[in-house]
Amino acid sequence: MQPILSARHIRKAYGAFIALKDISFDIPKGERHALIGPNGAGKSTFIACIAGQLPGVEGEMIFKGENILSLPPARLAKKGIGRTFQISRAFLHMSVLENMMAAYVIASGRWASLSDRVYDERIDRVHAMLETVGLADRAKDVVADLSLGDRKRLEFGMALAADPDLLLLDEPTAGMSIKERHFLMEMVAERVDATGKTLIFVEHDIDVVMKIARRVTVMVRGAILAQGSPEDIKANDAVQAVYLGGGHG
Amino acid sequence: MTGQDLKTWRAKVARATVSWRFVVPALAVVLAINWMASTSTSTMMTEIMIMALFASSLNLLMSFGHMVSFGHAAYFGLGAYGFTLAVVRGGVPPELALAVGPLVAALGGLVFGALCVRLTQIYFAMLTLACAQITYTVLFQWYDFTGGDTGITGFMIPRFGLSEKGYATAVLAVVTLCLLALWGIVKSPLGLSIRAVGQDRYRAEALGLGARRVQLVAFVIAAFFAGVAGTLYSVLHGAAFPDYAGLGITLDGLIMVVIGGLNSFAGGIWGAIIYELLATFVSKVIHEWELVLGLILLAICLAAPAGFAGVSARLRAMLGGIR
Ligand SMILES: Nc1ncnc2c1ncn2[C@@H]1O[C@H](COP(=O)(O)OP(=O)(O)OP(=O)(O)O)[C@@H](O)[C@H]1O
Ligand SMILES: [Mg+2]
Repeated sequence: MQPILSARHIRKAYGAFIALKDISFDIPKGERHALIGPNGAGKSTFIACIAGQLPGVEGEMIFKGENILSLPPARLAKKGIGRTFQISRAFLHMSVLENMMAAYVIASGRWASLSDRVYDERIDRVHAMLETVGLADRAKDVVADLSLGDRKRLEFGMALAADPDLLLLDEPTAGMSIKERHFLMEMVAERVDATGKTLIFVEHDIDVVMKIARRVTVMVRGAILAQGSPEDIKANDAVQAVYLGGGHG
Repeated sequence: MTGQDLKTWRAKVARATVSWRFVVPALAVVLAINWMASTSTSTMMTEIMIMALFASSLNLLMSFGHMVSFGHAAYFGLGAYGFTLAVVRGGVPPELALAVGPLVAALGGLVFGALCVRLTQIYFAMLTLACAQITYTVLFQWYDFTGGDTGITGFMIPRFGLSEKGYATAVLAVVTLCLLALWGIVKSPLGLSIRAVGQDRYRAEALGLGARRVQLVAFVIAAFFAGVAGTLYSVLHGAAFPDYAGLGITLDGLIMVVIGGLNSFAGGIWGAIIYELLATFVSKVIHEWELVLGLILLAICLAAPAGFAGVSARLRAMLGGIR
């Protein structure tokens, strides 16, 4: 099958520091792909490259057959790329409900509307999504008052609002209990499969990775160290040495 | 979801409900004062109302779009000159020219805004300042067209010949409508988008929002309402001067928003009332009124960054707790 995303010789430098050296790989449609590696490996940088949120990226990023590297992030969101952030970036001074409503309003392109009907037409879906991510009873709370785990859940729901074909989750379970992690990621996996999405997620919890990912890429210091099925990765000596053996910061 | 659930959910969305319980008494108070007070008080009230609209238009940018403009007076001035020049140079009947002022301001906002939103934060602020200085200089220097530093006077009977009280009532009506419109915008999906970009443009873009476009729309709206204020001001005095677009008015607006309360819609209104009253009465008692103003600003920035609106919200919460 033609890959939905293929990175070709992606290189990104922050000044003199090279954060991504020469990253190339394909992601087939429908895959659940984990991106792992020690701190500073370049995982978040790579996610930002795909989402079009970094200047000065070299190489080619082919999404659905088109090089997207020079496109602005808002265009990429319209083309079907949705993301969450490692450090939650839900709108801090809005309520949970307003955040989710904003996501739905923007996803539908009605951002410039002056009519309350735009709200009314979406309130059911907003409510349903908040139910899905377990935040319905916190709808009125301001994001600044939420726990980190709840903010992550909100972020995830907001990313789903546009129904993206490619979902990028940067450490979606950071700040959650082990039980919560598995619960959320199982829901993510289910949803991704049910709606035919492709998932790339960064995750430090190796148990979650083993359970959710169909394929894993291990990054170290801006380069790909290994790639394969979760089982292959677990058995890989080099990975053991660099990552799994040495704990995961 | 049941019908009842849906209703409570709808009520939670940020829609523009107007609490007439506050608006109607406020309007009644203004009308009553206007009715009883001297003509000079009526004129002062008119100026306060005009500045409340101007500060509120700036507040749309500052509190909701998180865009700090150092050049908002440009659109006040463009409103005033748009109106005045339409009458003087264009031969447009003054009643019709009333609409020209705000439109010229909005057009100016579109041109300058398109330039300014290319940058963010302090660079954005510097561009707005540059655009305002350009506007001011043109109004100041282009004698043949704008009358230069002497401005334009004597082209109409001030206030269309209305009495001070009559004009105050008319301004009250226009300003109330404009503030309701601004409130509706803040609470609309567009307002939600403006707030989203203001709070985190990076996040908003990842959701599919073109941040610059949203900011430009906010800028044009703010310019339009600043233009309405400028037009009303020009009618009040039957004149237009380059200072209307000058740094002084810009600073007045910024100070009003800070005194009144950032991140609150009412901030611009409270700020205009407090600032104008202080300027009028304190300056009569103490010669160095700027010193008093400086101290007040210091106190607000250090102790009550949410301004008057923040303090009154806290008081209400406290009182509510006691009851
Ligand atoms: N804006 C920036 N300017 C300069 N250096 C940066 C910037 N962002 C990231 N880096 C550096 O690039 C490297 C890769 O960072 P990145 O955030 O992509 O790593 P990561 O794999 O996501 O790590 P973590 O597990 O800690 O999230 C790090 O060494 C980091 O210090
Ligand atoms: Mg990271």
